[in-house]
Amino acid sequence: MAHDPTESGTAQEHTSGTTEARKKKEFFLPILKGLANTIAHIFRREPNTIFYPEERRAPYPGYRGEHRLKRDSLGREKCVACFLCSTACPSHCIEIVAEEAPWDDREKRPRIFNIDMLRCIYCGMCEEACPCDAIELTPIYNIPVLSREDAIYTKEKLLSL
Amino acid sequence: MSEHATTVTWTLNGKQVESPPGLTIMEAAKLHDLEIPNFCYHPGLSIAGNCRICFVESNRSPKPVISCSERIAEGLEIQTHSEMALEARNSVMEFQLINHPLDCPVCDKAGECVLQDHSYTHGPDRSRFEENKTIRHTKKLGSTISIWGNRCIVCTRCVRFCDEITGTGELCVVERGDRSVVDVFPGLPIENSLAGNVIDICPVGALIGEDFKFEARIWDMKKTSSVCAGCSRGCNIEVQSLDGFAKRIVARENPEVNEWWICDRGRYDYRYLLAADRVTDASAGGEPIDSDTADSSLNDLVSENGGIVGILVDPMMTCEELHLVNRLSSTLSDCQVAAWSTADGEAESFPNGFTISSDLHPNRAGVGAIIGKDAFSTVAKGLRRSLDAGDIDLLIVFAGFPHPDLEKKWIESIGKAKVRIVFSLQSGSWCEGADLLLPSTAPLEKEGSYLNQDGRLQRVRTLIAAGQQPFPSELVRLQALLTHLGERPRSVSSSGVFRELASSVEAFSDQSHSTLGESGCVLSSGKSAVGSMGGDA
Repeated sequence: MAHDPTESGTAQEHTSGTTEARKKKEFFLPILKGLANTIAHIFRREPNTIFYPEERRAPYPGYRGEHRLKRDSLGREKCVACFLCSTACPSHCIEIVAEEAPWDDREKRPRIFNIDMLRCIYCGMCEEACPCDAIELTPIYNIPVLSREDAIYTKEKLLSL
Repeated sequence: MSEHATTVTWTLNGKQVESPPGLTIMEAAKLHDLEIPNFCYHPGLSIAGNCRICFVESNRSPKPVISCSERIAEGLEIQTHSEMALEARNSVMEFQLINHPLDCPVCDKAGECVLQDHSYTHGPDRSRFEENKTIRHTKKLGSTISIWGNRCIVCTRCVRFCDEITGTGELCVVERGDRSVVDVFPGLPIENSLAGNVIDICPVGALIGEDFKFEARIWDMKKTSSVCAGCSRGCNIEVQSLDGFAKRIVARENPEVNEWWICDRGRYDYRYLLAADRVTDASAGGEPIDSDTADSSLNDLVSENGGIVGILVDPMMTCEELHLVNRLSSTLSDCQVAAWSTADGEAESFPNGFTISSDLHPNRAGVGAIIGKDAFSTVAKGLRRSLDAGDIDLLIVFAGFPHPDLEKKWIESIGKAKVRIVFSLQSGSWCEGADLLLPSTAPLEKEGSYLNQDGRLQRVRTLIAAGQQPFPSELVRLQALLTHLGERPRSVSSSGVFRELASSVEAFSDQSHSTLGESGCVLSSGKSAVGSMGGDA
């Protein structure tokens, strides 16, 4: 399958010629379109930005923000300290210490349940792993803290959210 | 069986294999790397044949046979994964799961549960059982053991253990049918020195140790193969720890030493690691000092001393540490090395041959082999006499005893040394007035080897991760001291120290940490050591 060198040479020239033309077309036309869009926005009245702390955008459904621990109908925490969330957690940010539950319907409950929000990557694996539907990622996204210690959410804080 | 039949030829899954006669199908299959599921079978206990999960198809029976009790025979053809065998095992599994609660997330056995494992391989993905599950009792069977009756599959391993191994017979099965469950007789709780083993052998989470309940999940823990330092027997243990803290100790199989069992003292006695009176910081004359100052102070005290030196070692030290002490004593011009120990504990023996030694020291034989046979007797007497006469200028005391029950006479005598350096695990009267007090590593924190009462050299491993040590171990400090004295160019690992020991002490020659393996080697009293790698009995 030997190719004629002259033949292949002309073919190459031919394709490179069309590529040049296509490049010009694909480059300049969108640039011009984009510029037209920008210029049109100069004359727009309404801004695209919002005044953030006063105004808030509603998060999209399924947004994964701050965690919370749920309570059952009797006001007790649903969590049974099975450690499946901390096992599933890829960033190892959940710390649990279990204790004996004082109630008849379950054996365990968490004595300590800490989430290090600085380590958390908000992947939602804990929520998926939970067999009791006890942990949930809320759509709350503004969670500023003033110290690193404040970023470690305790059981009480997670239950109060 | 005729005498000349050395092997039996039979067929396992269509392949002709040869096995020693007299084995059961399950044991013979295991020798050919095929594990048949089992609950009630345990190599250390009698055959019960009540769980029926080990069903296999045989050419000699119209119905499936249980492989734990059927023995192999010439011409036997076994199918472990035929349609009949699988259907039989799957049906057994479905029956087992009828009344078993789905509480794996809160069960302490989850992760090492045999029922959980077999449920993956043989279990149905849904239950056809629509009635209510049977409720059985949850209660304490003894001070350390509880039963979660709902989880019990009545394999009777624990009942057979109490009958055959301890001979105490506390446990029994009460009730009938699906209500049957393990229980104790009224007023007779399970309280024997081997009771903790029933927790290990329970294939499900029915028997739970109060000590480990809700403490940690199995898969989170780091597992370290080590040797128990509770007595001179040297039972093989697995230390399971979380973030450097021991959470529980379980038995590790070694047919030559402890088979599958350990005593409760070895199992539960690790709290001294975190005892309140443990020495954690170095101090000089009662004032706490930092680690670097302690190191230089140790070096100065030893190198500037020109008088008579006495070293008192304890039999909790590893062979490697003892070797370094030996090197130190040969460097110093006038030095005698003696050994001391705590009072004896209680010895116990059981019908199956398991014994607990009264000697509470794991390395008394090691002291004899490395320091000298008379280190505890004549040399110790001589050192004490010199101490009482005020002849000893520098005394280095090792007191790594987790339960110091020491002779008053010794404590009085060691106070008479002119300069005293003490390595201690716990604070006590022997630490008072020490010129330099250094923290000592506990047995579970040591890296090295112990020589047990039967002359078996076994490897001990630290549960602390490298670089996480709160203070330098004796192995590190002694090597730094030897380097300072110009005895050796640099510090090496415990395996390196062992190599030196092997080249200098005849009984240890031809050995290294790698030849010890998981179950250790017996050192012969003669010149060459016999390398009998146990583990596959």
